[in-house]
Amino acid sequence: MKLTKAVAAAAVLAIGATAVGAEGANIFVIGGKPDDPFWSRVKKGAEDAGVVAESQGGSVTWLGPQNYDNLGPDAAELIRQAIDQGADAIVGPNWVPEAMDPAFEAVVAAGIPLVIYNAGGIEAADRLGAMNYVGAVDYKSGYAGGEYLAEAGHTNGACVNTLPGAANIEAFCNGFNDGMTENGGTGSVLQLPATAFGDSTAVAQAVRAHLLQNPDINAMFAIGDQDTNATISGVQQAGKTGSVHVCGMNFNDSILANIQQGTQACAIDQQGYQQGFFAVSILNNHVTYGATIPTREILTGPGVVDAGNVDLVIAGVEAGAR
Amino acid sequence: MISNLLRRPAAASVLSLLGVLAFYVIIGGVDLGKLMNAASWLNYAARIGIVALPVGLLMISGEIDISIGAMIPAGAMTTAIISGHYELPMIFGILGALGVGMIVGTINGVLAVRTNVPTLIITLATLVGMQGVVLAGSKLLTGSASVPLTAPGWAKSIFGQLMFGGSHQVVIVWWIIFAVAFWFVLHQSRYGNWIFAMGGDKESARNAGIPVNRMTVLLFVLTATSASFVGMCHAILFNSAQVSGGMNDIFNIIASVVVGGVLLAGGFGSVPGIFVGALTFAIVNKGIDFTAIDRNWSNLIIGVMLLAAVAMNESFRNVALSVATGKRIKPKQDAPARATGGQEAH
Repeated sequence: MKLTKAVAAAAVLAIGATAVGAEGANIFVIGGKPDDPFWSRVKKGAEDAGVVAESQGGSVTWLGPQNYDNLGPDAAELIRQAIDQGADAIVGPNWVPEAMDPAFEAVVAAGIPLVIYNAGGIEAADRLGAMNYVGAVDYKSGYAGGEYLAEAGHTNGACVNTLPGAANIEAFCNGFNDGMTENGGTGSVLQLPATAFGDSTAVAQAVRAHLLQNPDINAMFAIGDQDTNATISGVQQAGKTGSVHVCGMNFNDSILANIQQGTQACAIDQQGYQQGFFAVSILNNHVTYGATIPTREILTGPGVVDAGNVDLVIAGVEAGAR
Repeated sequence: MISNLLRRPAAASVLSLLGVLAFYVIIGGVDLGKLMNAASWLNYAARIGIVALPVGLLMISGEIDISIGAMIPAGAMTTAIISGHYELPMIFGILGALGVGMIVGTINGVLAVRTNVPTLIITLATLVGMQGVVLAGSKLLTGSASVPLTAPGWAKSIFGQLMFGGSHQVVIVWWIIFAVAFWFVLHQSRYGNWIFAMGGDKESARNAGIPVNRMTVLLFVLTATSASFVGMCHAILFNSAQVSGGMNDIFNIIASVVVGGVLLAGGFGSVPGIFVGALTFAIVNKGIDFTAIDRNWSNLIIGVMLLAAVAMNESFRNVALSVATGKRIKPKQDAPARATGGQEAH
């Protein structure tokens, strides 16, 4: 009986929320899986900006795929779904341009304001007719990692690519390899099937095997925070802690602890929270008040987190700012 | 009359579909009109539904095929490598994708009839094997794990267009065509009776003169080829293909077959049931996006609703069958109720 009441109350709340949402800007945000630590940060940023939208009678709806197996087509489907659901504005990453460009073009053709974020760069925004790009430049992020490690004297690097085909991940690895080679080192790519992304055991085992086969490698770059932890675990399992130095994209509590302890050299931060927050804010202010941001390409990274500034960053995490 | 209707294998899956819709509308606050207009769930239903049809037939015959997960990306990559990377005419890409499906299906089928290894293990081996072949082959031939493809207009309009200028993919039409074809095979032709008989007892089926081995190989060819067909359509629609594992597709397709009322043990099921099962599964999966529920809960809700859909299906079938048999006065119901329900023509 109590359960029925609770369910009924939930239903009333849900219906109520939908009814109110009909007035302000209904913004749809396409992003990663909600259980992906990096994307949960982006989602929080989008939802925090959504508080303003909700206070004006709008809403923010997060659409993410359930896995990354079929990333480009799945994301393209979500973009079209947002159009079908009557979005007033859409935010989306341009992960796989071949698959997703037609869907983004349909958004613009339908007269719906669009902001590209996280992947694709200002080039994608210009090509597709989007208002702006909010995010880090993937190539520069990878480059920063390669440069950091090469300058520290670790000159044989491998980039762990667990999402083959995703344009931004390819750019991370290309940037990393260029950052390595242009600072006197050499770079290579360890390519894994897409199922490995987020599967820490698979990534760790692959890294371990790769390091044992290629004993000269002394630097590694991982493309996400889960992959970074898995890579460090692979380095430990190969018995190479201290001789193989790891940098990775993004960070979380355990990565910051690893940087403090010295088991991880650096983290490249693209500040996902900022990406969700500013993309939604730009669109909400535009749809509600017609306001614009003339600055094109809102950069949110790269920033290097290493032993030198990790304590400040941890303080920032505790304050909820990073 | 009513009991007759209720005893149809598809009736239970239709009821669970209605249950799922009711849940989303009442609890989730879904705007039914918006949901019906949206293409996402229908596109998804077609993607898994085309593969679910032959997989359902295979499961009715008492076997299973999980290599389908690798065959969807394999079909997509074959198309993109042949017609995208090597720029050969589109028709070669299409035939290549279907050919890869036939080869892998034949391997599965021949291993299934020649060895005593369970088909779950055989197709697990080909699943993992094909994942390796696709990744290694793609890197070897193109140097990349993602291959762009520009399909000509005719191929786009047959396999990869969006219909009515909106978001509905043309694979939906293919799904319906396949469903009608499979309905005819399973419920109107002698092959259907053979498949049910194989799911009941292979030895007796063989003794009754049914070419069990040939049918098994044929069913495996159908599952693998339909999966590579879906992959091919996707590559043409999305102008690209990428290497992936397809692990989720396996569970989603088999789950939708089970939601559609096919017994995991074989011997019972129907094509209308499998069709509705794919629809139900797709609505469970995509409908969550139309609710006001926080996305963090979506997997929990999908899990609970799947369980509820199958449980409803099962208990409803038991009730329907017992009511049906109980009402019969003539002592003709000695035959197991399961076989009666399954072999009727629909």
